[in-house]
Amino acid sequence: MKKVIEGSHAVSHAVALAKVKVISAYPITPQTHIVEMLAELVASGELDARYIRVESEHSAMAAVIGSASAGVRSFTASSSHGLALMHEMLHWTAGARLPIVMAEVNRALGAPWNIWADQTDSLAQRDTGWLQFYCEDVQEVLDSIILAYRLAEQISLPVMVVFDAFFLSHTYEQVDVPEQAQVDSFLPPWQPADFLDPLNPRAFNQMASPEFYMEFRYKIQQAMEQALEIYPQIDAEFNAMFGRSYPLVELCPAIAGETAPLALVTSGSMTGTARVTQRELRAQGILFDLIKVRSFRPFPTQQIRDLLGNYSKVAVIDRNISLGSGGIFANEIAGALSSMEQRPTVYPFVAGLGGRDVTQTSITEMIQRALGSTPPEDILWSGLKA
Amino acid sequence: MSPLNFKGAADMPAFSRSADTMEWNHTGNWRFLRPRYLDKDAPCSEACPAAEDIPLIELLAARGDIAGAWQRIREENPFPAICGRVCFHPCEKACNRGEYDDPVGINSLERHIADSARRQKLTPLQPKVAETGQRVAVIGAGPGGLTAAWQLRRLGHSVELFDARQEPGGMLRYAIPTYRLPTDVLNWEIGLILEQGVRFHPGRVLGGNLGWDELSQFSAVFIATGAWTPNPLGISGEQLADDGLKFLEEVREGRTPQVSGPVAVIGGGNTAMDVARTLLRLGAEPTIYYRRRLEDLPALAEEVKEVSEEGIAICPLLSPHQISGTAGDLQLSLLPMQVLDDPDESSGRARVGTADKPAELRQVTTVYAAIGFNDSPGLPVGTTEPLGTWLRRLKTDEAPETTILLGGDLVNTNRTVITAIASGKAAAIAIDAALKKQIISEQLNAAQIGGKGAISLNRLQGGDRSERQRHVVGFAELNTIYFRYAGRTERPGLTLKERQTSFDEVQMRISTAMAMAEAERCFRCGLCDQCDNCYLFCPDMSVIREKDGEGRHINFDYCKGCGVCVVECPRNAMLLEEEPR
Repeated sequence: MKKVIEGSHAVSHAVALAKVKVISAYPITPQTHIVEMLAELVASGELDARYIRVESEHSAMAAVIGSASAGVRSFTASSSHGLALMHEMLHWTAGARLPIVMAEVNRALGAPWNIWADQTDSLAQRDTGWLQFYCEDVQEVLDSIILAYRLAEQISLPVMVVFDAFFLSHTYEQVDVPEQAQVDSFLPPWQPADFLDPLNPRAFNQMASPEFYMEFRYKIQQAMEQALEIYPQIDAEFNAMFGRSYPLVELCPAIAGETAPLALVTSGSMTGTARVTQRELRAQGILFDLIKVRSFRPFPTQQIRDLLGNYSKVAVIDRNISLGSGGIFANEIAGALSSMEQRPTVYPFVAGLGGRDVTQTSITEMIQRALGSTPPEDILWSGLKA
Repeated sequence: MSPLNFKGAADMPAFSRSADTMEWNHTGNWRFLRPRYLDKDAPCSEACPAAEDIPLIELLAARGDIAGAWQRIREENPFPAICGRVCFHPCEKACNRGEYDDPVGINSLERHIADSARRQKLTPLQPKVAETGQRVAVIGAGPGGLTAAWQLRRLGHSVELFDARQEPGGMLRYAIPTYRLPTDVLNWEIGLILEQGVRFHPGRVLGGNLGWDELSQFSAVFIATGAWTPNPLGISGEQLADDGLKFLEEVREGRTPQVSGPVAVIGGGNTAMDVARTLLRLGAEPTIYYRRRLEDLPALAEEVKEVSEEGIAICPLLSPHQISGTAGDLQLSLLPMQVLDDPDESSGRARVGTADKPAELRQVTTVYAAIGFNDSPGLPVGTTEPLGTWLRRLKTDEAPETTILLGGDLVNTNRTVITAIASGKAAAIAIDAALKKQIISEQLNAAQIGGKGAISLNRLQGGDRSERQRHVVGFAELNTIYFRYAGRTERPGLTLKERQTSFDEVQMRISTAMAMAEAERCFRCGLCDQCDNCYLFCPDMSVIREKDGEGRHINFDYCKGCGVCVVECPRNAMLLEEEPR
């Protein structure tokens, strides 16, 4: 059913549709609306779940680690400082192979205080073993939660569904909210092989000596790689049922069947702006192909090589920064391309930090800089008031 | 599959887990600290001279076990219905809850428990003890003497109870008006004592028709004849004033004197307050004159409040100077007083002296003096020495071989019902010890709860209170995060109109629901009330509940001694100790 709903509430609807049994979260702007609505659904009885109140995000994650260990579908949500506080538990979740799904609203970290969109909070968690999917619009946010449970439970790893503060979390869009029966059919109840069971007591997550630890890490990496393999099938199934598809990396050419002189790589909500910019510049005869990276973990290295290897120039816009290095997506992409003999020149733009708008004008300016003759620097600041 | 057989990642589970139960792994052997359930003493019990086990009493009351609560009080104090009405309840002043919101209404709960027991026609448990064959004389059937008689009977001794008056009760019967202590309540609780085989001998006056030729036949004698001798006013015309205590006694005996018009009551203690309130109810217009300030009044704050509510004026800083005139037509001259700079060293109160102002004259029909009372007459000549907090030991040539103890108002500087009860209990313990050739002071010490003189028979006799740690739990030792603010239940009372015209009891009872809610407010400092915080918090599931739901123990196979249970215990009923090596 089509509804005009807020991005945060799209998550809440999806969590209810996924028949999550345990929710634990600690409020933080701009995430709060998500769990606020879930709390209401639980309180009213519309959602048959336990809502566990906690005193911190660290405890929220600990709580869902507990519930997921006991074998029930579990959800949490956080943002920025809250996510940072969860950090230790994020590692644990993946190591314990728990398919928890979290909604992560990208918000800048302080100091100074800033509540607006910035991807550095989630990207700082890249090594924790969580899958990370970055969403472009509210519909994708809703669908990604459902897709995330399906994938997570299949590979036994946790998934973060990531989207921009306010641009998505607080924006109302028309969304097709799927029917419960269809979701039930796409996402059957989770039936874990191992769960905490008083009738069959066993110790979970015991110490693994140097003899075994590395193999456990290897198995997580294998699961990440498995995710890349099986996701297209899951996405195809989803598409067949709901008529929407979300590839891990999406190519949107300026002219179908042709390769433009420049590929622009985006993630998150700025992709929508880039789509409009692409159409308008094409009318002026300026061509660039758009590459939307949805999956940051697992990083679709081979697809990136396949899609970007043919270009002479690749511009990457990062709404994030690894301080002391540069844009994080650009780094990953440059790394993926580095083993290729013929590889494009990467133009690593850093833009829109702390919620500053990435507009058609600023994207146009970045396109023109990349198409120009000036060779790129390690960081190309966009819109910086230097 | 055992880890020993893993050849590589393919053989391994997705995450590390045991192949089977790990119960064989006794992680408790990592422990170097060890939790222990150990109940402690509460400050209310310490402050109660009779050492009532208040936390446990409130716990039983909160659970609706009125009979249990009542028997528990009676172990230490046979007068809960009386004390629930007239006690000055030092327990409430010491209540840790007072530092949180308001003290628990221990006094009104005590009355509720006793009144409910009476309605349910409960009878006291009588421990099975062998009769010792020892005869003890108790002289004075006030709260001290009656308590001694009750506890001595429970210890198996034969008791003869003597009193100068016709009925037992002492001050309870003859000095406290019925609007504070109804006669039926008094008769019920005294009856429960006499029914235990205490023989009462009325009209026997020590030093009169009760002499030492008779008393020296007893193995021990406890004298608690009280303080009935009025202090003189020491002023001109003193013979024109009447004795306030005698007036109260006459009213209780039904020989109510005719009173009318303005009447002066001199004094600031409970007797002065009771004289004035009785006068009001008899239709006179009493005014209380007190030589110090209002804040120095020795009367109970509650009673001063009720006096003011009833419209009786208390005029401070006025000292009687002279009485003149004829009976029924008196002039009372009062000297205005002022506060002197240096406080009274002995009492700590402000000292007062005459102000440089003219005397004030009052035209009154009667003057009642109630400025304190002295020992009743009839004590034998001899020497005394203190014995514990509540007693003096008397040596007299009249009966050199007999253990003779003095108690009650003869000994206590704070002359109240509950201190008299403490005296009576101490006397029973001391006499029992003397008859068993034990060292009296050792027995009194062994019975102590806290450091304020409270003594417990339960503790002395090896009851459950003897297993508690001798430590009084302070407010700072509680984990108050688990308590909620809750308003204190106040007793309802008669309307002013009803109070001014009748001797009906002023303070009314609280309902069972109110009582249970009030009992639930008790923190139960130092006493495990099965709240299960330890059980809920134990990360090793090593707190094991007993099958009957009462009590729990630690499974030391898995307890790592983290101490969470001890920290999260709201009421300090646990202890963390070093693991013995």
